[in-house]
Amino acid sequence: MTTCDLLLIGVGGQGVLTIGDLLLRAAFAADLPASFCPTKGMAQRGGFVKVELRIGADGVGPRIGEGGADIVAAMERSEALKGIPFAKPDGNFLLYDQVWQPTGVQLGVDAYPSLKDVSDAIEASGAHLTVLRPSERPAIGGTEVSANVFLLGALLALPVMSTLFAAKDVERVIEARWPKHAEANLEAFRAGLSVRLASGESLGSSPDGELPLGRG
Amino acid sequence: MKRIATGNEAVALGALRAGVKVVTGYPGTPSTGCLEHLLTLDLPDRHVEWSTNEKVAFEIAAGAAWAGRRAMCTMKMSGVNVAYDALISVAYSGTNGGLILYVADDPGVSAGMPEQDTRGLALMSDLPMLEPSSPADAYDLAQQAFELSEAVGSPVLLRLTTAISLSHAVIDVEEPVPPEARDVLLEKNITKYTKAGSKICLDQHRALIERLDKAAEWIRQRGLNRLDLSDEPGGLGIVCSGAVNAYLAEGLRATRSEGLLHGPVSILRATTAVPFPEVEARRLLDHCDTVLVLEELEPIAERQLAALAQRAGWSGRIVGKLDGTLPRLGEYGLSAVRKGVEVAASFANAARQESPRAILALDEQETSVAVPLRERSETLLGSVNRNDEERGAEHLSAPRPITVCAGCPHRGTYLGIEAAIREAGLSKDEVMVTGDIGCTILGMNPPFDLLWNEVSMGSSLGLAQGYVHAGIETPVIATIGDSTFFHGGIPGLINAIQHNTPLTLVILDNGWTSMTGMQANPGTDEASQAEGSRRVDPVRVVEGLGPDSVAVVDPYDVGSVTEAVGAALFAPGVHVVIAQRECAIQARRRGIAGGVVTVDPEKCILCMKCLRVTGCPALSIRQVGSKGGGESPDGDSPDRQHIEIDASLCSGCGICVSVCPTSALRNEVAT
Repeated sequence: MTTCDLLLIGVGGQGVLTIGDLLLRAAFAADLPASFCPTKGMAQRGGFVKVELRIGADGVGPRIGEGGADIVAAMERSEALKGIPFAKPDGNFLLYDQVWQPTGVQLGVDAYPSLKDVSDAIEASGAHLTVLRPSERPAIGGTEVSANVFLLGALLALPVMSTLFAAKDVERVIEARWPKHAEANLEAFRAGLSVRLASGESLGSSPDGELPLGRG
Repeated sequence: MKRIATGNEAVALGALRAGVKVVTGYPGTPSTGCLEHLLTLDLPDRHVEWSTNEKVAFEIAAGAAWAGRRAMCTMKMSGVNVAYDALISVAYSGTNGGLILYVADDPGVSAGMPEQDTRGLALMSDLPMLEPSSPADAYDLAQQAFELSEAVGSPVLLRLTTAISLSHAVIDVEEPVPPEARDVLLEKNITKYTKAGSKICLDQHRALIERLDKAAEWIRQRGLNRLDLSDEPGGLGIVCSGAVNAYLAEGLRATRSEGLLHGPVSILRATTAVPFPEVEARRLLDHCDTVLVLEELEPIAERQLAALAQRAGWSGRIVGKLDGTLPRLGEYGLSAVRKGVEVAASFANAARQESPRAILALDEQETSVAVPLRERSETLLGSVNRNDEERGAEHLSAPRPITVCAGCPHRGTYLGIEAAIREAGLSKDEVMVTGDIGCTILGMNPPFDLLWNEVSMGSSLGLAQGYVHAGIETPVIATIGDSTFFHGGIPGLINAIQHNTPLTLVILDNGWTSMTGMQANPGTDEASQAEGSRRVDPVRVVEGLGPDSVAVVDPYDVGSVTEAVGAALFAPGVHVVIAQRECAIQARRRGIAGGVVTVDPEKCILCMKCLRVTGCPALSIRQVGSKGGGESPDGDSPDRQHIEIDASLCSGCGICVSVCPTSALRNEVAT
């Protein structure tokens, strides 16, 4: 059976836990064994958050070991660095390049990494990097689609995920979660699904590892 | 000077000789006599009190010790359970001045309550515990406990049992020594004194284990665990701890005279089971073929000896509780010693007849194998616990200290306290503001950097009193959330009021247990209480306790906090300021409309005062890496930069408005 160890990283308030929760429900609906372990510490908003999802394997512990994540998906540039030790060489690394600067950075007290710093570090790990730019997130009726569901769509575009679930399975979970706002969220999801992702072959075709967003 | 003293009095006299500054406790047989004795003496320059409970007592002692003074806290074994929440946290932080917790265990239960063996708590806590075997020993070890505490920077447990704490003996006592006259130590170091974060706690755990190792070495060098090996190798070895030592000589004489014991006997008189005297015990094992362990209650030393024997490949027999020879219940006296010696001697005698004993070589490296093993095992820890080089690219990530949410009422309270300190002509580095568990501890982080410490639920009050009794000259402020106040803060406040210990308590009352995800607590509003439950008004609770003043203020009105705290700071007595305003996230969830702050870009001069002062996550700098927009697009002219407000986060608390010098920020009326 295909298995997927997925590490999601971000800061409190971005909806990282929701991505994990939706995938867990999708796994449940597809009758796949799954473990979902959220770590949010004391963060109400703005603190480091991570989710470890282990899908398809039975009898495994909740934590993903170093170098063990098939996919690392990060929603904040600086925090993405914390996922690098867990990235599997030849695995996938999705960086939704949102910058959520801590106050110390805004005040010029602390340094903040550039996209190149982070991309270089990710690529040095051997993982295939795809950078998704928030500015290129599609808008529906003038409102940008929800970033976390957009990223969820991009995750489903990865082969390792799409062998576990069909996009339809996840769409059903989204509809069940937000019955009143299903359309907007499905749009966000589909926008993510149509993103063109880095593969082993295309890696390095773009100098900073960034690939343009596809529009469906 | 010779005098008659009980074990309890001997501890008190030893502490006086050691220059103790603060002694607190809660009565409990068989420990009561220690503090009671101190209260009969005229002790200028020292503070002695019965506290509201053992936890408060320990927190006060810990506060005084953190301030650099020698402090002791007394209780019976059951009291340690009450104090434990604070004890384990202080154990992780360590101490500056000598800090002793004197506990009296009650094997045989002379006074009721569970017959627990507090050495188990020492083991669980990695805290050194000294176990005197007589009142004279208690006098000596009370003094050495302070030295040990300061030498390794750890609280030290001093454990007596009923037979020693209540028995009278003639002891040789020297003149008391007054507390050293020195300035109160104010050390601001949240990595040592708070528990907020995985890295802090893992580093503290490592330091705790290292302190116990250092204590073991200190104890070994002092010779507190006395090993007497027989001239002739082989025969019976005995590990004897605490009160049982008093019966050992008698028991050995009796069994020998009755012909039950032949051959040599070697004895390890153990003053500590935690840390276990491994070096001495290993030498005993190498010398003997049978070892008897004599200790009351649980087989704490025996298990450690068995583990050591296994590691050393020792094949002799250990006689004690684990083989069923001796009971885990009750007090040991002569009959227990005789029983143990009789059984152990029969094995030792048999072993001597069977074969001349081959002595195992003492392998020094093997005895110290624990340390490299621990170092190796650390590589198994996750990257969070590595240093920068080992963590690779992760050290490039921006520090993200957790701060309070946008609209959090605590922001106004911290700023109000800061302003009150400033207006009193003082700096944040000279005013002790104790912290507590929950969202309120976030005041330790930038931009506030206001809180000094965090121990356990309700500890802010006890710690504050400890600093007062240590002799601090600046005002002391304790801060606590509403839920934490209900949970564990009330006894500490009662204690301050009862003893008239001057301090200002600020209760940050947001109506919810927020840090854990907004659960209802006794103070949550009536409408949000479960069916059939009702609200307990914290203001009425505080008023009912009778502090010298109670002020209720709105933290969104920072000036009102400043005024109330400022009025309390130098006033004698105990003053309580209750900053009351519902948790912003919860208010929003409940549909209570807040306002929203807007920015006039023309007026914003980007002085960043709003950001610097409030640290509010809803504020950012537009087009310089603003939250939503990634990196700055090229070609932006700097004059277009200005403060931006994330309307999805802003609650319209207006605190940023109050600090803006150009009126660029405006609070829109709620709709």
